[in-house]
Amino acid sequence: MIQWLFVFISVIGLLTALGTVLARNLVHAALFLVAFFFVVACQFVLLEAEFLAAIQVLVYIGAVAILLMFGIMLTRNVQGDDTTTVSTRVAVPAMVATLGLFFVLAFGIDKHGVHRKEVITSAGTMTETSVDKNAWSRLTHRPKASDPVRPGANMPTRTESIDDMARVVGREMVNRYAVPFEVAGLLLTAALVGAVALAHRDVEEETAGRGIGAKSRPASTSDSPVDLNLTLASEPAPTAPVHDV
Amino acid sequence: MADDIPLTWFLYFAAASFCIGLLGVLIRRNAVAVLMAIEIMLNAANVNLVAFWRYGTPAAAEGPLTGVMMAIFVITVAASEVAVGIGLILLCYRHWHAADVDRYDSLSG
Repeated sequence: MIQWLFVFISVIGLLTALGTVLARNLVHAALFLVAFFFVVACQFVLLEAEFLAAIQVLVYIGAVAILLMFGIMLTRNVQGDDTTTVSTRVAVPAMVATLGLFFVLAFGIDKHGVHRKEVITSAGTMTETSVDKNAWSRLTHRPKASDPVRPGANMPTRTESIDDMARVVGREMVNRYAVPFEVAGLLLTAALVGAVALAHRDVEEETAGRGIGAKSRPASTSDSPVDLNLTLASEPAPTAPVHDV
Repeated sequence: MADDIPLTWFLYFAAASFCIGLLGVLIRRNAVAVLMAIEIMLNAANVNLVAFWRYGTPAAAEGPLTGVMMAIFVITVAASEVAVGIGLILLCYRHWHAADVDRYDSLSG
C-alpha cells in the first residue's frame, strides 16, 4: 500500500518538475514548482521527517516561491514569453547530457554492492558476480524506530528523534552544530544585506532608468525624441478634461 | 511494515528530479526559470540526505539527526541564494532590459 502511495506521489513529483522546466508561461512554471515543493514535503513525510516537511512548506512554498513569483512579475513584461522558447540547437545536447547523467546515477544506484570478479579456472576466464547483502543499495526496509540508532551508543533512540524531531533538532543546533548554526545566521544576514544592496536603486538612477526603461524596446533607443513627443502627446490626454471640469 | 519502500526508490526519484533540474538549467533562457531549476536540484539532494538518514546508521562520532540537520542547512543556503539571485537578476534586468541569460555576455569578449 505504502509502495503504491510512494509511486503515486513520485509520478506527480516528476510530472510537476517537468512542468516547471518545460512550461512556456513563467507563472505556470512557478506554480508547478510550488506543487513540486509540496511533493518533496510529502516525501519527507514518507521518510518520517514531519518537522522537515513543515520547514519545507514554510520556507520553500511560503518564502522562496513567493520571492520567485516577485522576480517573474518584476522582469516579465518587456520581454514577453518568447525568450523562454527552446531552440533545438541547445535542446538536443541538453537532453543528451541529462539522460547521460541519469544513466550514470542509475547505474551507480543499481550496481552498488554488486561485485564482479574475474576467476581464472582451467576452462578459462569466468566472471563471478556476488551481491553484498549489507550494501545500502540492498536496503528494502528501514530500521525500526524503537531500535537504538547505533548498537551500544549513548544517544537517543530513533523514536525520540522521529517523534520529537523539533526538540532534538533544537538541542543539536546548540550543541553539536553550534558553529554551523552561527555561520548560517551570518550567511542569512549577509544575504539580506546583499539582496538589499543589489536591488537598491538611487534616486537619480531611477529617473534616468525610468526614462529609458519605460520607452525603449532595445531597438528604439536611437529615435528617442520622437518617442518622447509621443508620450507627451498621449499621456496627459486623460487628465486634461479632469482639470477643466 | 511488511512492504516498506526500498531505499533505492527514493534515490531513483531524487536522481530523476535532479536530472530534470539540470535539463531546466541547460535549456531555459530566462534567468528566473534557471533559478527555479536550481531549486529543483537542491530539493532532490535534500530527498537523498533524508532518505539516507532514515535508512542508514550514523557514523561513530555523529548525532542522531545527521541527514536532517544537513537538509536544514541546505534549505538555509537555498533561501539566501534565492534572495541574492533575485537581487542580481533585477540588477541585470535593469542594466540590459532583459532577464535572458544569453544577453548577459559582457565578459564573452
